[in-house]
Amino acid sequence: MASGEVILRGLTKRFDDQLAVDGIDATINGGEFFSLLGPSGCGKTTTLRMIAGFERPTAGEIVLDGVDVASVPPHERNVHTVFQNYALFPHLNVFDNVAFGLRRRKLAKDEVRRRVQEALALVELHGLANRTPRQLSGGQQQRVALARALVLRPAVLLLDEPLGALDAKIRKQLRVELKALQEEVGITFIFVTHDQEEALSMSDRVAVMNAGRVEQVGSPPEVYEDPATVFVADFLGVSNLMEAEAVGSGRGECMVRVGEFVLRAGCGDTAACGAVKIVARPERLELLSHEDQRENRLPGMVERTVYVGASRQVIVRLPTGAAIQASVTNTGDAEMYRQGKPVSVYVPAGALRVLASGPAGERSDPAVPASEHAEPSGVRS
Amino acid sequence: MTVTGIGARELATPAAPAGPEPVRRRRLLPAVLRNPWGRPRFLVLTTWVYIAWALLPVGIAMLFSFNSGRSRSVWQGFSLRWWWTDPSFSVFHDPDYTHALVHSLELAALDMLIATPLGVLLALGLARWRGRGSGAANGLMLVPLVTPEIVMAVSLLVVFTQLAIVPFALIHLGTGAQVVGQVTFSLSYVVVIVRSRLASIGPEYEEAARDLGATPIAALRLVLLPLLLPAILASMLIVFALSIDDFVVTQYMSSNASTTTIPMFLYANARGGTTTPALNALATILVVTTLIGIGVAYLIYTALGRRASTGEVSALRDLSGLETA
Repeated sequence: MASGEVILRGLTKRFDDQLAVDGIDATINGGEFFSLLGPSGCGKTTTLRMIAGFERPTAGEIVLDGVDVASVPPHERNVHTVFQNYALFPHLNVFDNVAFGLRRRKLAKDEVRRRVQEALALVELHGLANRTPRQLSGGQQQRVALARALVLRPAVLLLDEPLGALDAKIRKQLRVELKALQEEVGITFIFVTHDQEEALSMSDRVAVMNAGRVEQVGSPPEVYEDPATVFVADFLGVSNLMEAEAVGSGRGECMVRVGEFVLRAGCGDTAACGAVKIVARPERLELLSHEDQRENRLPGMVERTVYVGASRQVIVRLPTGAAIQASVTNTGDAEMYRQGKPVSVYVPAGALRVLASGPAGERSDPAVPASEHAEPSGVRS
Repeated sequence: MTVTGIGARELATPAAPAGPEPVRRRRLLPAVLRNPWGRPRFLVLTTWVYIAWALLPVGIAMLFSFNSGRSRSVWQGFSLRWWWTDPSFSVFHDPDYTHALVHSLELAALDMLIATPLGVLLALGLARWRGRGSGAANGLMLVPLVTPEIVMAVSLLVVFTQLAIVPFALIHLGTGAQVVGQVTFSLSYVVVIVRSRLASIGPEYEEAARDLGATPIAALRLVLLPLLLPAILASMLIVFALSIDDFVVTQYMSSNASTTTIPMFLYANARGGTTTPALNALATILVVTTLIGIGVAYLIYTALGRRASTGEVSALRDLSGLETA
């Protein structure tokens, strides 16, 4: 039984003069839900297409269960894909779409029928076998695409923004179902997305990509709460990124100066010194009245309040000129967050993270998170 | 009541009957131009006049194929004499006519069967070819479409008759050269039609097939060809229509009377005093087959294209015989 472990070593793809993927190292464990997250053009889809076999790497290895498959054609890889627009064959009905791969393997008719029914049951589409793809809703098409790939029992399932074409409500519902399905079948899922919420809510681990490189690999809480680079902090949600100066450290804490105020920062690169960047998530900030005398406060003025239902996003302009965003639970009291009101932003030391300044690319060291999980890659089959 | 006040109002109101003659003349055209929601009568009229101008002579020529007399200009009553009933001079009995008919159909069939598959392969090749040269090849592929046909015909004549090197020396004037000539110019049409369909299909279906374990050939056969079928059938019929009514290339590539086609026969006999309305019948056959070819091509392309995308496969499958099993 294949375990579905994928190791990428120095994976590189160059299109003409453009470096799409720049030496990626990563280990994707068998049975893991692994997301490649990044903005468009970061190389995540190219990486996926190389694992599928549609693109040939310029350099590097793709080791699938101990065998380098970098130059194996796509139809001979035990890796299947769910495409962004599903690519269901429009001239075949649901049954024939799902049976397509089984028939290529020359399985007996009964076996094909049995496994197609099984796969359709798995994605809860029994009874729709005779429909054509265009007679199905977007969500149903997506399930057919899943069934068509899963029926072949791949070692690894690749998903290229499979929820992108659906509307918001179905997308949220399928997110839960997709994760449940992955746990049920126990297959390695490699999921490409630019939607951080999708990646965080479903993945066991996330690789945040930027400009063809992996910035950080980690569990969703790790990448969200312990971003290794400025890019990761900024890409995953609102980070309130600010320039600051580290003016002294000790006992795992660091004093940073923002304008004329000095704050205690409790996490990140607390040994740093000189120009740094600091980040703090909006939901970890508190808004206090202007008179409050607690430490680690930044005074400011409410510039704008955005009502989003369950919470309010309050944008506070600081005397330094920077704006900071705080997310406040909706308690029904709007008076405090009225535009122009002077407030204090309390930044708990444990929520204030120091990131050494400098280009994001230089800070990241993709080899470190990769080797952390690398196991001796003996042939396991 | 002040007279001046009323006078001023009347002048401002369009309906004022102040001097009927000059007002009406001044308003006629501006009224048409000022109201963009009215029926564009003048434009519609121009269109119909042109259509009548273009089609009437052809219609009259076709009508005279049913003339009961020998005349091709004086109507003497309706008959099917020149189509069938005259045992020696009707279009389907006179050997000169039937030979031209048969030869035209032969050439059209050969052209269709050779140009279509070749064109499909070229289109597939062009779609896959990336990098240096592919852009130029795509552009050059359109050159035969705009080359003056007489230039192509004369050039082909020169290379087939003057150049003593393979492969040109292997082609002799007559049916062979006619087929080669027709294939040469009709290929481009196939490539253009199939390429545009390929572009709208996109690479995803083929990649999906490959991903699911299909070899490149199987992906082509089971996925790409069925999706291309409307374009392939349409281009076959277009090639048929192109071949049936081609004159210049076919004429230059011909050898003797045995390689006369319908258009060549019409050209040679149109001015002759001895010809009968059977010639009109032959012309009618040419017009009708061409129209049917193009009409059916259009219907197939739109109807099957729509069906393939709405997924109603049965007709497409029946036509293709490409069962997946």
